[in-house]
Amino acid sequence: MRRLVALTLMVVPLCAQTPEPQAPKPANSPTEVAKSDATVAAEAPSPVPSAESWLTGSIDVGYRWRTDVGGSLDTYRSIVNLGSGPKLLGADFTLTDPKHRAFDQIHVRANGWGDEPYQTVHIDGKKSKLYDFSADYRDMAYFNFLPSYADPLLSRGIVLNEQSFDTRRRLGSFHLDLLPGNWFIPYFAYDRDSGSGTGATTFVTDGNEFLVPNTLRDQTNLYRGGVRFELRRFHATLEQGGTTFKDDQSVFQNSGSTNFGNVATTLFGQKTDLTNLLASYGVRGTSVYSKGLFTASATPWLDVYGQFLYSQPDTNVHYQQADTGNLLLQSQVLFYTSQQYLVSAAAKLPHTSGSLGAEIRPFRRVRIVESWLTDRVHNAGSAASNQTLASTDASQQIAALLTSSLVTNYSQNEIDIFYDATSKLTLRGGYRYVWGEANDAVLPPEGLMSSDQAKLRRNVGIGGVTYRPTQKITLRTDAEVASSGGSYFRTSLYDYQKVHAQARYQALTSLNFTADFTLLDNNNPVPGVNYDYRSQQESLSLFWSPLGGKLGDFQGSYTRSTLHSDIGYLVTQTLTPQTSLYRDNAHTATALFNVKLPTVEGIAPKLSAGGSFFISSGSRATSYYQPLATLWLPINKKMSFFADWRYYGYGEAFYLYEGFRTNLVTAGLRFTR
Amino acid sequence: MRSIKLAVLLLIAAGVTTTRAQTPAALPAGYVGSETCKICHEDIYNAFGKSPHQAVETNAKRGFEGRACESCHGPAQMHTESPSAATIRNPAKLVAAAADKICLTCHLNQPTHVGRLESSHAKDQVSCTSCHKVHANGPNGLVNRKPAAINEQCASCHTSVWAQFQRPNHHKLPEGAMSCVDCHNPHGSIRPAMAQTFAANEPGCLNCHGDKRGPFTFEHGPVRFEGCAACHEPHGSANPRMLVRQEVRIVCLECHANLPTANKTGTIGVVPPSFHDLRSPRYQNCTVCHQKVHGSYVDRNLLR
Repeated sequence: MRRLVALTLMVVPLCAQTPEPQAPKPANSPTEVAKSDATVAAEAPSPVPSAESWLTGSIDVGYRWRTDVGGSLDTYRSIVNLGSGPKLLGADFTLTDPKHRAFDQIHVRANGWGDEPYQTVHIDGKKSKLYDFSADYRDMAYFNFLPSYADPLLSRGIVLNEQSFDTRRRLGSFHLDLLPGNWFIPYFAYDRDSGSGTGATTFVTDGNEFLVPNTLRDQTNLYRGGVRFELRRFHATLEQGGTTFKDDQSVFQNSGSTNFGNVATTLFGQKTDLTNLLASYGVRGTSVYSKGLFTASATPWLDVYGQFLYSQPDTNVHYQQADTGNLLLQSQVLFYTSQQYLVSAAAKLPHTSGSLGAEIRPFRRVRIVESWLTDRVHNAGSAASNQTLASTDASQQIAALLTSSLVTNYSQNEIDIFYDATSKLTLRGGYRYVWGEANDAVLPPEGLMSSDQAKLRRNVGIGGVTYRPTQKITLRTDAEVASSGGSYFRTSLYDYQKVHAQARYQALTSLNFTADFTLLDNNNPVPGVNYDYRSQQESLSLFWSPLGGKLGDFQGSYTRSTLHSDIGYLVTQTLTPQTSLYRDNAHTATALFNVKLPTVEGIAPKLSAGGSFFISSGSRATSYYQPLATLWLPINKKMSFFADWRYYGYGEAFYLYEGFRTNLVTAGLRFTR
Repeated sequence: MRSIKLAVLLLIAAGVTTTRAQTPAALPAGYVGSETCKICHEDIYNAFGKSPHQAVETNAKRGFEGRACESCHGPAQMHTESPSAATIRNPAKLVAAAADKICLTCHLNQPTHVGRLESSHAKDQVSCTSCHKVHANGPNGLVNRKPAAINEQCASCHTSVWAQFQRPNHHKLPEGAMSCVDCHNPHGSIRPAMAQTFAANEPGCLNCHGDKRGPFTFEHGPVRFEGCAACHEPHGSANPRMLVRQEVRIVCLECHANLPTANKTGTIGVVPPSFHDLRSPRYQNCTVCHQKVHGSYVDRNLLR
């Protein structure tokens, strides 16, 4: 599929006229202030060009070289994963049918084809008063192999990852709107999400866990269709959909080898080992869902909004496991040499959500927004298991039937009042009440907590100010202060203050600044919890485009973020309460210069340079550098040469062997029409 | 004779057409028509001609045929008589709610806006025109459609969020493979953080991570109660699984602390005490054994 798409895109004849090439935005370019309408309009072509081309756009092809990776190749592949070879780096073009036969226009854009980790293609097609179609396909590599703290054998000098993946996820999405009229719009859609590949995981038994390979294969299909009614005074959308799901994981170890697992010591005088394993999950799922949405302009001073959403996914599972070795059933101090374990399980999860709200405008300067929201999840499951344990002289059969339930009923009600004090100042005040119940139970009691319940009660005061003293300055802030009488989890929001403030200043037409501040301070003083959490971010960014960008431009940002989280826990071996302290202090900066270099013999080169860095200290100090530079050389009006250099450097203060550094150089051509 | 009649008829028809197009008398009082606006604002007029908003200009059912400019800017007669910024309504200079009201006159009754009351953009006075360029050209020109352009636009306000994407483990937005709107609905959503939804009301994360959807026979409560963000930092993290803390055990132990809460209706997942010796490296990554941490189809302890 991906080769076909790549081939199709590459053969598109894109070699005609072009304006001067644009420097590519770097992968980590931070911000660009939106252009004014007037600027956009000024750049717009005439609505009826005398000779409008049926094909416009550009395509970038090139070759990338990657130097040897210094340090951990596994970490490089887990984080960056770009490789050498010929690439279709990007394509973006529009097909126009001047006679409007099958379509008016088709837009195609593609990114990163040619054995790349993130391959995407998107197509939009439209014909006025007939249809609107979009298709999206993505092929993402998910490689993850980082040893560090995931390795219990690390103290013995063995560097293995006990949870790793080398998989790909492929996502397809297709949507068709039919346009028989202006107010009645039927639509259909199909989405597919699949993953496959291999990895490593652990096979866990009493007292030991064995690193084994696994295969992963899952697939979800989503079918949906509906109709939209869009009238002058109200709108309604009715949608019905359903999914199918399957997941066929397997875990195995071939016979002929002995796996001693993570425990080198003896258990009850014996060493445990695994000599053969095959475990497979056969999961099949379906779901139906319904969606109803409406908005209405009931009167000139009242708008009403509502949603009703219902879904009911279910799964059925047949799990089979057969293993041999010298293994232990700890509860009975029973050593066995073979095990057969069968589980039949099922789960059903009806999920109902709804919201209802209104915006009321009783006076010219006052708006009242009232909204109510509920979300109810009720999962019920059951698992019947049957295992046979056999040793050299006996066998034992153990059967069990467990039922499970997980329920949450969440609701919130909020009222906000907005007051436009002047044309430059808007004040907001509000109140939100959040409440809910949750419980989690498994019967008969087994393993973890058999029955747990919690209540959620939270009162939140809300305030905000938006002030725009001139067209060039915008100041915006909002805050929440909450007090709770219960929460679901120890780390949930409890008594908290949340603040967000932002200032934007356009000093010149070509220069503007943005400053941003966010704070969340959350405390749960309940004895036994004593949670103290605080996170804070401060950012400053600027965009400078002197002389209307004729010479180039600069954009940059700097962000400092801090996080601390203190919470109590109990060390059961010593029965001593301890406090978990977590700290993270990070500095992040991005910058990018785009410079137009002097013209030499009619060639006007462009240079882009910059990059980003991230440096953190605290509980797990990390650094990550991504500098880059790109040179553009227009060869003629329809073709440009580009060369791109990037460096990736990653370092871990505590896990030095995870660090890596490498250089990537890409050279290619952009064809534009 | 017949051709003369035809010529006369054509002349009359042309005259009527010209009169309708050029005579303000055919327009409601105070309106001047878009052709008059074009005299001074030709660049905007031309761009507008290729915009979806051109339908307002040409479709009589929308009530502003031939005077689309004035559908947003209001009657322009005074502006033509005394051209200045003070004599014409400029939505960009209105308070956000007033500017939005102009847009929502036509666009409120569309599914896009059904979550508007939950939208933090609306609550924070971020108007439609902050993201949408009303005069822009092209059928998809009103708002950025390409991932890199979308991300740049969002990052121009959400600078600290964009900084998180510079951390080593992140969703692939800086690489151009995804955009902010893959996960967030900028018009508002029933889910927290204006997140997209999957299959009506499930978290939008499941659009791509369908294998984590379940339902599982043995659920892990936070996944259902507080969503993926209870444990994951979706924008970026130094943790390879994009966790909110950079080591797995810290994420787990902040909830599973072995300390019972004092009040009867306490929190979920605290007790019974774990017997694991957390000082041993073997127990310092909980997910080595409790690998089905999103929920298990077959094992109560999330071991398989």
